[in-house]
Amino acid sequence: MKLTMLALLTGTALVPVAASAQDTVQYWMWDGQQAPVYQQCAAAFEAVNPDIRIEITQNGWDQYWTALTTAMISGDAPDVFVNHVTRLPEMSANQVITDLAPLIAEASYDTSGYLPGLLDNWSRDGAVYGLPKDWATVALGVDTEKLQAAGLSMEDLADLSWNPEDGGSFQQVIARLTVDSNGVHGDQDGFDGNSVETFGLVINPLSPGGETEWSYLAASTGWQFIDAPWATEYRFDDPRLAATLGWLRDLGRKHHFMPMQEQTGKLGAETLMFSDKGAMTVVGSWLIGQYNQTKPSIAFAPVPAGPKGRKSMFNGLADSIWTGSDVPDASWKWVQFLGSDECQSIVAEAGVVFPAQADQVDKTVAAYEARGIDVSAFTAVATPETTFAFPITDYGNEIDAIIRAAFDRVMLGDGDPAEILQQANDEVNSLF
Amino acid sequence: MSGRADSSPRNAKTPTRRSALRRKEAVVGYLFILPALIGLVLFYVLPTIRAAQISMTNWNLMRPAKWVALENYTKLWGDGQFWDSMWITLLYVLYNIPVQTALGLLIAVLADRLAKSVTFRAVIIAPYLISNVVAGLVWLLMLDPLIGITNSFLSMIGIGQQAFLSSPDQALVSVAAISIWRHVGFTALLFYAGLQSIPKDLYEAARLDGASEFAMFRLITMPLLRPVLVFVLVTSVVGSFQVFDVIAVTTQGGPAGSTRAVLWYIYENAFKFSRMGYASAMSMVLFVILILVTLLQMKLLRGDQSDLG
Amino acid sequence: MLRTMTLNKAIGYAVLAMICIASLLPIWMAFKTAITFPSDVFASADRLWLDRLTFGNFPRVLGLPSSVEPPANSGQPINFMIALRNSVIYTGLLVTGQLFFSSLAAYAFARLRFPGRDTLFYMIIAATMIPSIVLFIPNFVLVRQLGLLNTFAGMVAPSILMLPFAVFFLRQFFLTTPKELEEAARLDGLNWFQVYWHIALPLQRGPMATLAILLSIQAWNDFFWPFLVGQGESVQVMAVALANFQSQAGQGQPDWTGLMAAVMLSIIPVLFLLIFFGRRIVESLQTSGMK
Repeated sequence: MKLTMLALLTGTALVPVAASAQDTVQYWMWDGQQAPVYQQCAAAFEAVNPDIRIEITQNGWDQYWTALTTAMISGDAPDVFVNHVTRLPEMSANQVITDLAPLIAEASYDTSGYLPGLLDNWSRDGAVYGLPKDWATVALGVDTEKLQAAGLSMEDLADLSWNPEDGGSFQQVIARLTVDSNGVHGDQDGFDGNSVETFGLVINPLSPGGETEWSYLAASTGWQFIDAPWATEYRFDDPRLAATLGWLRDLGRKHHFMPMQEQTGKLGAETLMFSDKGAMTVVGSWLIGQYNQTKPSIAFAPVPAGPKGRKSMFNGLADSIWTGSDVPDASWKWVQFLGSDECQSIVAEAGVVFPAQADQVDKTVAAYEARGIDVSAFTAVATPETTFAFPITDYGNEIDAIIRAAFDRVMLGDGDPAEILQQANDEVNSLF
Repeated sequence: MSGRADSSPRNAKTPTRRSALRRKEAVVGYLFILPALIGLVLFYVLPTIRAAQISMTNWNLMRPAKWVALENYTKLWGDGQFWDSMWITLLYVLYNIPVQTALGLLIAVLADRLAKSVTFRAVIIAPYLISNVVAGLVWLLMLDPLIGITNSFLSMIGIGQQAFLSSPDQALVSVAAISIWRHVGFTALLFYAGLQSIPKDLYEAARLDGASEFAMFRLITMPLLRPVLVFVLVTSVVGSFQVFDVIAVTTQGGPAGSTRAVLWYIYENAFKFSRMGYASAMSMVLFVILILVTLLQMKLLRGDQSDLG
Repeated sequence: MLRTMTLNKAIGYAVLAMICIASLLPIWMAFKTAITFPSDVFASADRLWLDRLTFGNFPRVLGLPSSVEPPANSGQPINFMIALRNSVIYTGLLVTGQLFFSSLAAYAFARLRFPGRDTLFYMIIAATMIPSIVLFIPNFVLVRQLGLLNTFAGMVAPSILMLPFAVFFLRQFFLTTPKELEEAARLDGLNWFQVYWHIALPLQRGPMATLAILLSIQAWNDFFWPFLVGQGESVQVMAVALANFQSQAGQGQPDWTGLMAAVMLSIIPVLFLLIFFGRRIVESLQTSGMK
């Protein structure tokens, strides 16, 4: 005790340290749920590399990027940080993140274990700017109690079809699940659209990427954001997209099977699901745990198949190294470890996200199963044929602002979708 | 109440002695303001000069900047979205300031007359204890169209469902209302401090003359409160023009761009589109506009008459 | 006559009551959310009261054993005692400095004559008009060059010496008080500092107390700058800890019940300060000076 006090006062460590100075690698992330998981990875890493210390900092998403930018300007940024694909164009163009391709070659690091497509998302002109950590797909989240009350079962949802004209069997199920205050279902006579108690489908206000709101539908018509990664031209003016968004708009404004844009608060679709206002929604796989814990009656079914089959966006985070790092070697070691089976299996067993390494996915599925969650609807669409990538181009954030406002207008019924999208698309393409 | 800051000692006998005293007074004055001056120069003046420099470059926060002279300013002149955001900001100020000031004054006068307790003042300032971000979150929950409590109340009195923050027509008013809720107590306390320093015997004399409550307010309270009123208006208008936090939490400039206030637009440009040069130019323009607005206010309120000794 | 007085009074009290309700209702909603089971939070969002309640959210956000399971979207527990200590140090340091330096400057601007006085004062008012977005990067770089990152010194540096709001506010009050007392004291041979300290400042007890309270609340809620400069656990203030707890992921809901529980816990110290110190400040100012 006295010794400790003395040590504290004099600032000396009681434990003799090795003569060589330790390298400290600063690691930033925004996801608080995953921080403890990666703390375990860090412990495992430090056990193998006693000369390197990992310091993990977690900042909420809202401040993460501002803090990161400020830190980079002042030369104080973290050596390694979790990166988001929307930030990649800018960061790679301005060379603030290290090209890992030469390091990968030099270390003969095996990238064949990643799920197909994940590494491509983080590559540009042969350079690699991050090693994938995880991936996400989307599926329908259905409140099974409401499903039974509507006389349906999970089997009925296993193979839904959709098209932008009449909505296919997907729209029929949505209608069936909608109930007004008199207990009349959306597909019955006498349904009152102005007093809906439970909406058949609830979605977030449309985001430009549309991961959980519209892109799975639009892509199932054969539509694509862009023709190839890093394109300089967007396809928001495609009639198939206008038709898809028109269908979504009418689902709310005309049929009242879905809340209208102005009824969807900022609290999001999950809020409506948890407060019994919604019977079905589209869930991103990063929210599986939250849904299951808040409302165990919610189960997952595959998204409907459109004219060109079933589609889901396929997106993932990666670890990037800051070019200004003064411990590049230690940072690279850490990034390799994060992508290795050892750390990925820790991540997998935690059952928080799907790990990027293909042979670890089963562990995650098992971890979810142990909690009684069937996640096959998410894993089934994680194939090259059934997925499409988030559109990666320059000016991502400007495009985001333009398209968000345009989508707001479409969903508010403020004009013809085709015209609004044409105008927005011209504005987007004029950026390049 | 002209607080003329003329404080030459009455015992100054000769001109030389007077000028020596004057010099000494000036030295003391500079010593008094020295800490504030250091703060002003280091953390306001220098960064402002820096921002003015950056506004003439194409700095994107990552690469070394290139000099582009007045390019950002010419671009800004033709940027409809910037002027649009100025207009939105002006609307916000017009929603926010009159209500907040009048309500704050009303609360202060009522408190001064009827409820002098510390507890009442604690209740009034309570919303200010909660940070902007948390206030925004609580109101998000309360104003939600489908599950919020506000619509439950409205439906009890027969008013239909309102969209509030989700509607382009109501979002800006809703943001202003949240701000008013949080700041009205703050404003009231400032006024209250002003009312406390008005000598009470003035009111008693007026009451003996048979003056009504309203007449006393008009003839005694308002004139004597003017320095505080000037202060409250100037600071709250400047603050209101720079509305940001509540928008960042509740609407992020939406829906359909209806709450894209100027500071949000500047922030978007600086940290989302990485156009720090352009954002700095907009900041400079906003800075100049705010100086003009304040000068105009000083003129209208005749603030300079009681302010300039 | 008497009748109208009581009627006026009745109307006044009714208005006050309504204002109190409007003030407190959202805070009640926040408190109600804090005592809600995480799974009930949205189902009960449109009600003033709960069918079932729990106090388990309070221990759980502090990382103590609790009857309530944290929801899946919950962040890591807040290290409350350390954040509380840091907030008290930060607020105490900042507000004490602001009150002293700003009142000194305000007094000089109101009472002393020196060349360039009004120009400098207008510069101080103008300082509030520069959008902080362009200020914080140069200031951050400066504080870093001074080696003050992750120190309280760096966190208070930009606003401890000069807060335009405080200088402007106090100057207005110094101007509105008659200066006969001060002039008499000068004739008695007191120097300027003694006049300021023993005569002028004690006359501004009320405004100083108001300012102290408002600045304390502001400092307690200060977020962005302390977040940039003081990320280390040893200096992380409550507002920063709360923000990290609140925004856990790019998408998805915050842990509402936990967040509101943490918010409620974090405003208790300020409430205490308001009610207890509010009186103490006034009393102590009454006894100081005037000797």
